[in-house]
Amino acid sequence: MEQITLALAKGRPAKQTISLLEKTGEHFPELTEESRKLVFHNLDQSIKVIFVKAVDVPTYVEKGAADIGIVGKDNILESLADIYELLDLKIGKCKFSVAGKADHHPSDNQKLTIATKYPNIAKKHFKKKGQPIEIVKLNGSVELAPLIGLADYIVDIVETGNTLRENGLSVLEDIETISTRLIVNKASFATKSTQVNQFINQLKLALE
Amino acid sequence: MQKYILSQNKNSNVEDFQMREQLINTFKHRFTTYGYKQVRTSTFEQYDMYGSITGTVNKDEMIKVIDSSGQVLVLRPDVTIPLARMNRATTDQRLFYILDVFRQSIEQNEQKESTQAGVEFFGDNSPEADAEVIVLAIHTLKDLGFTNFKIELGHAGFFKELIQQADISQNQLETLQTYIHSKNLVEIEPFLKAIGLADDLRNAIQLIPMMYGNPADVIDEAKKIIRNESMKQVLQNIIAVYDVLVDYGVADSIVLNLGLINNMDYYSGIIFQGFLDSIGKPVLMGGRYDHLGKQFGNTIPAIGFAFEVDYLVHALQQQGKEIVEIEPDFIIKYDKTKQKAALQAAYRLRNEGLQILTYLVDNVEVNDATTAIVNYTKDEQQLITQIKSHTFASADELVSQCLAIKEEK
Repeated sequence: MEQITLALAKGRPAKQTISLLEKTGEHFPELTEESRKLVFHNLDQSIKVIFVKAVDVPTYVEKGAADIGIVGKDNILESLADIYELLDLKIGKCKFSVAGKADHHPSDNQKLTIATKYPNIAKKHFKKKGQPIEIVKLNGSVELAPLIGLADYIVDIVETGNTLRENGLSVLEDIETISTRLIVNKASFATKSTQVNQFINQLKLALE
Repeated sequence: MQKYILSQNKNSNVEDFQMREQLINTFKHRFTTYGYKQVRTSTFEQYDMYGSITGTVNKDEMIKVIDSSGQVLVLRPDVTIPLARMNRATTDQRLFYILDVFRQSIEQNEQKESTQAGVEFFGDNSPEADAEVIVLAIHTLKDLGFTNFKIELGHAGFFKELIQQADISQNQLETLQTYIHSKNLVEIEPFLKAIGLADDLRNAIQLIPMMYGNPADVIDEAKKIIRNESMKQVLQNIIAVYDVLVDYGVADSIVLNLGLINNMDYYSGIIFQGFLDSIGKPVLMGGRYDHLGKQFGNTIPAIGFAFEVDYLVHALQQQGKEIVEIEPDFIIKYDKTKQKAALQAAYRLRNEGLQILTYLVDNVEVNDATTAIVNYTKDEQQLITQIKSHTFASADELVSQCLAIKEEK
């Protein structure tokens, strides 16, 4: 049977997915705690796993470099990738929110400045509301932006809200909930249906 | 000799073009065997034409130009619409094209032009016509040497009929379509619940994304959610087309996908797209558009599809398909004193259809082990092949020797 390639987001999602897969009886002997390998196989070589950066998982899958990917909804939304999104692994739950200083009130007809790591998601959200915005794309410590006047608000992932609170920010609005999803390349779904469906069903069983 | 960086890239560009040419020749040949005639449309189209008809290319994606009279034109963003507009045929007409189309999207800003090779079949709206067009797509993919590909077959009417019974806003419809498009089962259920549709209608819509795979199974599933006469007819149409495809012997390449929604709203019947195992996006898309012509005052039914040639080139390169490199047949090296004789011989050999390169020996060191070489020097006239060397006295003799060698090859 043809091999399927699975792209996993390095870090926690990968660990959680691997332990799910181990539950379904798939073992990855080459994978150990100290291993730095980025590519490894299961026992019968039917699954090839590649470790990639989370933001790149949708790209790998959309381009067909991987048949299946497991990655957070945040990265799927931001990538605008044209893929199938077939399963919610119900891990890594958090949400996308708009946050800012509670006492900050920009004037009504002013363009809002939004600092975020996720420009596409921010744009889409404010477009829906009909609010013109300007994006400041940052790569980390987004919470800082409203504090030093770089932006009116931020759009970011909120898990516990601790970081926000400690920096004097609060959630103003929730955009959507996020969790780890299984995505599939559209061509693989058509040309490797059997293997892909078998893998998904296996994972579904492990989730139950 | 001066070196340009370009010359290092030149090779790959030449190869890329040769591969395209081979593809294009395959298209031309195969499309012709099904009775299609080649046409072209203007590179510039009226912006207003695209603006006024519904359900076509996204206006933001079109590349606009303004001519000297202030008219807004667009670079041909698709070929189907101009063909549907120009077509005045009242009986069957089969047309094909291989043309560049121009679009700009936010996601793929660097890729503004792409080549499409497509066909349009006007005049017949029978399931047999649908099947013939799909078979043409499959036949062409096989010609190109692809073995692992699937054609997803769907119907524009199935989802439309179902959704007509639901009272939802345009915004909600768009969201729903995105969910169906990405088979997002996770979010579709809460979304539909929030809209508050009747349970049986909601269940039916929820099932659509997974109405996918083996045609017989999907047809059985689809029968369960049929709610009125028009949906029944749509399903009958799909079955009729599939039956013809089975008789063509291509059932292996077909899967049904009732969750298939094309961005072009003008499709009215069967829609389909083709996937190769190595490319994540559809390499061909098409469908029936019986009502598009009405917007231009002609009512002839039509079906068509187009290949994305760039994706196919990419797929062939990924598979490591090599271009048959065309080597020169003979190289003529001559010395200045023999220039006249050598160049005239070259002309005559080229006239015979042979590929000839000539070099003045002072200028260049020719080092080609595989190609036969003709030497014109002061003292001798020699034809050297890998096997042996002949001397020749006249151009006539050279031509006949060369042709004999070529023949042997």
